[in-house]
This record gives sequence, structure tokens and C-alpha cells, in this order.
Amino acid sequence: MKFQLMAGLASLVMLGASASADEIVFDGFPDFNSHLDILIPDYEETHPGVSISYRMNQHGDHHKKLTTNLATGSGAGDVVVVDVSFVGSFINAGGFENLSSPEYGADAMSEDFVGYAWSQGKGADGNQYAIPVDIGPGVMYYRRDLAESVGADMEKAITDWDSYIEYGRKLKEKNVYLIADAADVAQIIIYTTIKDGEGYYFDENGKPLVTSERFVKAFSVAKQIRDEGLDGQIQAWTNEWYEGFKNGTVATQLSGAWLLGHLQNWMAPDTAGLWGASNLPDGIYGSWGGSFLAIPKQAKNKKEAWEFIKYLTNTSEAQLAGMKNIGSFPALTGTYGDAAFEESIDFLDGQKARLLFAEVANKVPAVAPRKGDLIADDLVIRGALYEVLNDGKDVEAALRDAERLIKRRVK
Amino acid sequence: MSITGSQIDGVAVATAPAARKRRLSKSLKKRLIPWLFISPFIILFLTFTLFPMLFSVYLSVHEWNPVAGLSSMEYVGLANYQLTLTDPWLWQSLYNTVWLAVVSGVPQHLLAIPVAYLLVTGLRGGLRHFYTAFMFIPYITSTVAVSLIFFSIYSANSGILNQMLLGLSDMPVFSWFFSWVPDVMPIRWLTSSDLLKPSIAMVVIWKYTGFNIVVYSAGFLTVSRDLYDAARVDGCNRWQQFWHVALPMIRPFVFFAVTLTIIGNLQLFEEPFVLTQAQSGGVAQAGLTASYYLYLVGWQWLEMGSAAAISWILFLFIAIATSVHFYFNGRKGLGEDR
Amino acid sequence: MTKLVRLLPRISMQAFLMVSVCITIFPFVWVAMMGTHSRSEIYSSPPPFYFGTRLLENYEKLLEVMPFWTVLGNSLLVSVLGTIVTVLFCSMCAFGFFAYEFRGKNIVFGVMVASMMVPPVLTLIPFFLTVKFLGILDTHFALWFPTSANAMGIFLIRQYMVTSVSRDLLDAAKVDGASDLRIYWSVVLPLIKPVLATLAIIVFIALWNNFLTPLIVISSPEKYVLTLALRSLQSVANTPWGAVMLGTFMSMIPLLLAFLFFSKQMMAGLTAGAVKG
Repeated sequence: MKFQLMAGLASLVMLGASASADEIVFDGFPDFNSHLDILIPDYEETHPGVSISYRMNQHGDHHKKLTTNLATGSGAGDVVVVDVSFVGSFINAGGFENLSSPEYGADAMSEDFVGYAWSQGKGADGNQYAIPVDIGPGVMYYRRDLAESVGADMEKAITDWDSYIEYGRKLKEKNVYLIADAADVAQIIIYTTIKDGEGYYFDENGKPLVTSERFVKAFSVAKQIRDEGLDGQIQAWTNEWYEGFKNGTVATQLSGAWLLGHLQNWMAPDTAGLWGASNLPDGIYGSWGGSFLAIPKQAKNKKEAWEFIKYLTNTSEAQLAGMKNIGSFPALTGTYGDAAFEESIDFLDGQKARLLFAEVANKVPAVAPRKGDLIADDLVIRGALYEVLNDGKDVEAALRDAERLIKRRVK
Repeated sequence: MSITGSQIDGVAVATAPAARKRRLSKSLKKRLIPWLFISPFIILFLTFTLFPMLFSVYLSVHEWNPVAGLSSMEYVGLANYQLTLTDPWLWQSLYNTVWLAVVSGVPQHLLAIPVAYLLVTGLRGGLRHFYTAFMFIPYITSTVAVSLIFFSIYSANSGILNQMLLGLSDMPVFSWFFSWVPDVMPIRWLTSSDLLKPSIAMVVIWKYTGFNIVVYSAGFLTVSRDLYDAARVDGCNRWQQFWHVALPMIRPFVFFAVTLTIIGNLQLFEEPFVLTQAQSGGVAQAGLTASYYLYLVGWQWLEMGSAAAISWILFLFIAIATSVHFYFNGRKGLGEDR
Repeated sequence: MTKLVRLLPRISMQAFLMVSVCITIFPFVWVAMMGTHSRSEIYSSPPPFYFGTRLLENYEKLLEVMPFWTVLGNSLLVSVLGTIVTVLFCSMCAFGFFAYEFRGKNIVFGVMVASMMVPPVLTLIPFFLTVKFLGILDTHFALWFPTSANAMGIFLIRQYMVTSVSRDLLDAAKVDGASDLRIYWSVVLPLIKPVLATLAIIVFIALWNNFLTPLIVISSPEKYVLTLALRSLQSVANTPWGAVMLGTFMSMIPLLLAFLFFSKQMMAGLTAGAVKG
């Protein structure tokens, strides 16, 4: 103990060691560390003189720290991870390097990436500020055994929302929930059935769209599921959620490709072979999550940072390693021809699910983020939607109230 | 001669200011001493507290997206206050804050005072030590552990709380009182707007009562045995000793602890934040406290100016509550009548 | 029978205390139990309320994912240093407010109480700017020094002085020719030991559990403190929860020891006998 105390004292005296010329600091959140632990030694070997260190913080903490660093112009690393939910508001604020500029020339690689993810990293000025490193193409995971037990054909069940609900009614007779939380359904309808030129929540003139048909439909479908008692009202990332997967009380889950790794590794490892993956119901294509890499303007070592970003995002080697190491799905379309995609996945009863993920990834429509999306998201999904589902508030009234709140906040 | 005279004169002239100066420096020193004692507070306040306060005042009349950097602030006058004061979510959050402050604040003290008294007067040193330490444990438990544990306890289908209620409804005598339980199962403690606030309040009470027990124990320890003995000689029973002897003596501690609860509870953030999984205050924003809301506006929505305005409105709220408390209880509470 | 009736209050008191202790100690025991399970076991429903078999595994994992003992040392350094200085500063300031009448006293005291009311969520960015301006970014100093003369501590000690230090005693000491510093150090401080211990507990815990300041101030992994190191492991994805829970449990033990140590000092005040006005 005494020794540690001394060591601590020594580190107290030495104020921040200065960075050497070719040291790159990578700021992110777990599980990037597991990925980097494997990649960094190789990279350092092939790039003599470059050394890479990383700092991980919990997801929310990382973005809070990054916000502070961008606000004050100091403290950020050379390469930073930005989650898809924040990317729209972060890249338009001027804190990141313009990667479309000649010294980076990111535009040249635009064709290599999944279209929708690439455009999410584009600023309102048309320049590229962030490069997608992993994406979350949306699929429906379902329990094969439960579908069989009620004699349902999954292809038919996902034709549209009515058939999906019909499937839920059959399940209910066996005391099985169709889905953990009906809110997921509303959310994905809102995020995916967007008309050309519209944003998630605003049209091109910045007028909120939340009372439009898309939102009414989303809320109504979710409400119907809830009112008929087809969902378990189970919050994601709680013990009950995992339990539902384990003991087969929940039949489907709409989520990103990455959920597979979690299901298989720790959420419900004993249910291997009982699962399947399909397209989302009603023929929609959407995504859950995704991360981007960017270089803050305050970075000390931009050139090497860019080289490292290119390695992580634009080489099949690193992208495929990510899929293997931490189950993150590649944003680089060139990887989709790799043999790994032909692998049949035992957990999904031998299904070649990665081909499905890749197909979905290429079909997800590109939607440009708009100012105010974050606010509208909270007010509509976390605000109005749960008032409708849990408190029985009228759909149209809830959406009207949400629109009023959005108009006040977003100008 | 004239030189000597002038010299003497000179000395005389010189001594008078010197004496005055010495006297002055002595009284200056005397006046300076209290300031020297409180100088740590003043220096640290000026360095670390004042600037952030002024910064947030400045911020509250600007529009600022923090990720755009310091230079991007835009003066908007009182627009932030105007927007905030007519914001339904702000009023909702202030209502939640006051509700939680009262419901989770009052029981803390009603529990802590008698328990501390029992511990100090009723138990021997070792045992008291042991009990106090265990009751203090919730206060030292990290928030992550707290949230993990209470999520399990409150879980609707398999949570211990619901299982316990079901168990009670099956037991012979208790079933009279708990017969309604099976009808309302599963009780969704954290996902229904009616129950969210009480559920949060229970966690807050659980967590901070131990802290108050320690403060009150320190208070009861200042009451000397002689006073109890004297009271006993006068024929006071244990209850009277508590009410007439011990309680008045610890008034400054009650005052301190209540002040801390008022300020702390009106700033309540962590417990509602983790128990709603950071989901914008939970269903129907029933768990959205004012601090939570200003966090949301500033760090999620990236509208720091607006968040600063909320923080000053909250500050005003707390200041009013504390002033009322000081006005009514301050004279005795601060010990100025002693 | 009458004996039983006489004993009843005692028994019911003991029962009440026992029940309270069971409720409060519950999480501590549970965290300890979770430290002996794997992630899948922790995330079963209902979660296991018994000790598992993976203690060693979790311990090895913990050492693998973070330099636990170094980080614990850092936390200890910050908390011990911070507690000593805070208790010193707060008692000085409290003495200043308690023992003297001077112009501006009420204003300063008012400002002090008001400074507790500023919601801390927002002051993070300006605090970062201050720390950066002073050149103490990425130092442990910046973790404990800024709060070392805090309003809560000063207020608490002042309140204790009111109840346990008599004005006559101060006057007598002054008549005897004791200097102000001497009165503070040799007359008053010994009398208020219990509250110094109380404050020490509170400050130690606050510093130990502080998370936001380390998050924005500390950037070198070798300077991480426990809260930061444990939080930085958490993600939706791949958190080794068994190891994190074991780390959480182990990080609570020094707090409990600190509590027992200081609470002994607190009780010692009783036997020393408080001097009442």
C-alpha cells in the first residue's frame, strides 16, 4: 500500500507527460478497447514510429467528456468515436476536421461504404466530417420453436404490421409475448418510413412532421400491440429482458445485427439453434446504432490520426476483425463478399444471417440528420409515446402536444 | 538650542503617528484575524466557484451549442428565461422535484432522529459502532450498484418486492391487508407514471437516512450524561428525556441536516436518472427532476444557454425554500440565541 | 411476566434495529455475492442471492482489465490527502465564523450557503476551464483541492461549535493571553474532535465516490481513480459484470474501514466529555 501511495505521489508531481510526435490518442467507449487491443500491435509494427494509446469511458460519459473537450477546445484525443445518435449534432458544430478537404480527400472513398452510413457522417455543408466504422442493419430476431408451436410461417408473419399482430394473437394464447416493448415498433416505423426529402422529424424547411401520417401510424400500431396485451412491457437491458430471451416468453425482437453477438455470448447462450433472423416486418429497412470516427480540430497529430482512421474503416482486414472480435458489423461494403459472410451461424440454426445483414445494410435509405432531431426524439419517443402506451393518452392529442413542444424548442 | 528644540519637536511629532500607526495596525490585525481564518473558503470560492457561477449567468443570456466551442455563443437577451418559464416540462419537473423533496426528505429525518437517539443512549459502544456502520452502508454504495440492485428489486415479473407482496397476500393474517395484491400484479414500479416517484423516493430514503443518523449521532453525543441524570431525578421518563432534554440540545444539528436535505433534495439528480435509465425522466416524465431536466437540455440537447436559465430558476427556488427555513428556524438553529 | 413486560421496549428496540440493519446491509451483501458470479448468472431472473463459485475468475479478470491496486492507491491518495486538508480548512473557516464578530460576516456566510445551491450539473465546463487555466489538468490535486473548503463542512463544524464550545471558555483563554491561533488549535479543536471525525467520514466518501471531476480532469490511465476505472469498463456490450461487481465490492471496503476508524474517534468525544455552555 505504501508503495502505491508513493507511486501516486510521484504521478501527482509530474504534470501530464508531453506527447511525442507520432503518438495517437484514441478516445472511445467499450468494446472498442477489445478491438484495439488486437489491432494496435500489428499496426504499430507496420507503421514504425507510431504509437497508439486509447482512453475508454462508458458510452454516455464518453460523449459528455467529448462535449466538454469540444466546448473548451482542449483535452480531446486525436481520433474520437461518435455514436450515431450524436453524430448529426456534433459534426455540424465546427469542432471536427473537414475530411473532404484536399489533405484528407475522404470523398474518394465514399463509394466503398454503405450509402446511408456514409451520408450520416456528412455535414449540412456537404462535406464529410466523420467516417462510419460500424453499423447496425436492422433485422427481426425470432424464436423458431415458438413460431412452430403455433404453426406460424414467419415469412407470412412479417408481410405487414397486421400479420405481425395476428402472429402475436396466436402467441398470446400460449402466454407468449410477441415483443418485449411495443415502443420498439413505433420507433422503427418512425425511423424508416420516411418520404424522400423529409428528415426524421422535420421537413426541408425545418417544419416538424410529428403530426403527419407516419407518426400517427407508428403510434397506432404500437398502441394496438400494447392494448391487446401482446407485449411484455419489458425494458431493454434489464434482467427481465434477458430472461425473456432465455426462457422463451418473448418471441421476437427488432434490433441491430449486433444483438446476435450478445444473445449468443451472454444473454441467452443456452438457446442456440432456436433463433432465426428475418427482415423487419412490413418490408421496411432500418438500422439500430452505429459509430463514426472523427478528428477533432484540436488534435495534435492529425496526419497519423487520419492514417489510422483509414486503416480502421477502409481496410477489409480491420473491418472483418471488428466483426470477429466484438461483433460489430462492417460499414465497408467490400467486405461483404468475404467468406465470413457465407458462414452459417449455429446460434441461428445454421442460417447465413450475415448475408441478410449485408443485404439490409445496402437497402437502408439515407436520411440526413437535421438540427433539433435529438430534442424531437426525446419529446416524441421518450415523451409522447410512453404517455400513449403506458398512460392511455390519445394518439393525436399526444402528437399535437409533442409538436407544440418541439416548435417551442426548435427554431 | 533651536536645533535641539526642533529635534525634540520632531521626535514628538514623529511619535504620535507611530503610536497611532501601531494602534491602528493592532486593530487592523484584530480585524484581519477572522478574515485570515475564513480565507481558505474565500480563496477557493473566488478561484473555483465564482467563475463557474458568473459563467453560467453569462450563459443564461446566450444561445450556445457547447460542441461548437466557446466562440460560438450568441447573445439572446432574456429569451432563454422566457422560453424556460413557459415550458411545460420545466413546471412538470419542478413539481416532481418538490414532490420528491418532501416525500423523500421528511421520512429521512423522522427515522434518523429516533434511531440516532436509540443508538447513542440505548446501546453500548461496540454494538452502537456496529449498527451505525451498517446503517451507513447505503450511503457509501456506488450508484452503479444501487441501480443494478434496485432494478432487480423493482422488477415487475420477478422482482423481490412483488414476490414479497404476493407472499404476504398468501399468509394467514396479512392476507386481510394484502388481498388486493394479486389483482394488481404485476406492479410496474418503474414504468408506470403513478409509481415511479414513490419508487424513487424509497431509494432516496434508503440511501440518505444513514447519513443523517451519523450527523444526529454526533449531535446526541454532545448531550452530556449529567443532563439526562438531572432530568431523571426530576422524574422525566425516557420519552420526556428525548423530547425535552435531547431534542432541544441538537437543534443546530437538525437545522444543519434539514438545510442540507432541502438543498440536496431540490437538486436531486442521480437516483431518478439511473432509475429511469436516463430515458428523459421516465414515463410521462414522472421522474424528471429539475436538475435532470437541465442536464437533458444542456448535455443531451446541447442547449447550454437554456440549461443555464433553468439552473438559475432552480437556484431561485432553492434559495427561497432555504430562506424560508432560515427565517423560521434560523435564530434558534444557528444558535444565535445562546 | 412483569419482567417480560419491562423488557419489551428493549426487545422491540433491538428487533427494530435488526430489521433496519437487514434492509441497509442488503445491497452490500448482494454486491459481494454478485462478485462471485459470472455475467450470465448475474443477469438471470431472479438474480442469484447466494455466493457463487467464480470469485477467483472474477478477480483475475479484474486485474486483467484494470490495474486495480494502482487505481485503488490513487483513490486512497486523493481521499486521504483531501480529507486531511478539508478538515483543516473547514474547521479554520468555521472557527472564523463562530468566534468572531466582524463586518461582512453575515454576507460571507450567506454567500457560502448560497454556493451550495448552484446546481453542479452545469458548472462542469467552466470548472474545466478554470482547472486548465491553473495548469492542473490531469493531476490528482485538481480532484481534492477545489472542494477542500466547502460550505457543507464549514456549516457542519460551525453548528457543532455552537453546541459544544462555550463562549466563556474562549474569553477565559483570551484573558490568559492565548493567541487566536492557539485558541483555535489547542482549545477549540480538541473539543470538536467528534465533528471533525464526522466531517472526515463524509469528505472521505465524497472524494472516494466522486466521478464527474475525475472524468473531465484526468486523462492519463495511470492516474485513474476507482470510480473512473470501474465506470470506464461499463458498456451495453461486453461488461465483465462479475469483475466489475467484485471491484465495486472491494472499493467499498476501504470506505467501511474509514468509517469504523472515524466513528471510533466520534465516540471518543463522548468519554472526553463535552463542555457545555
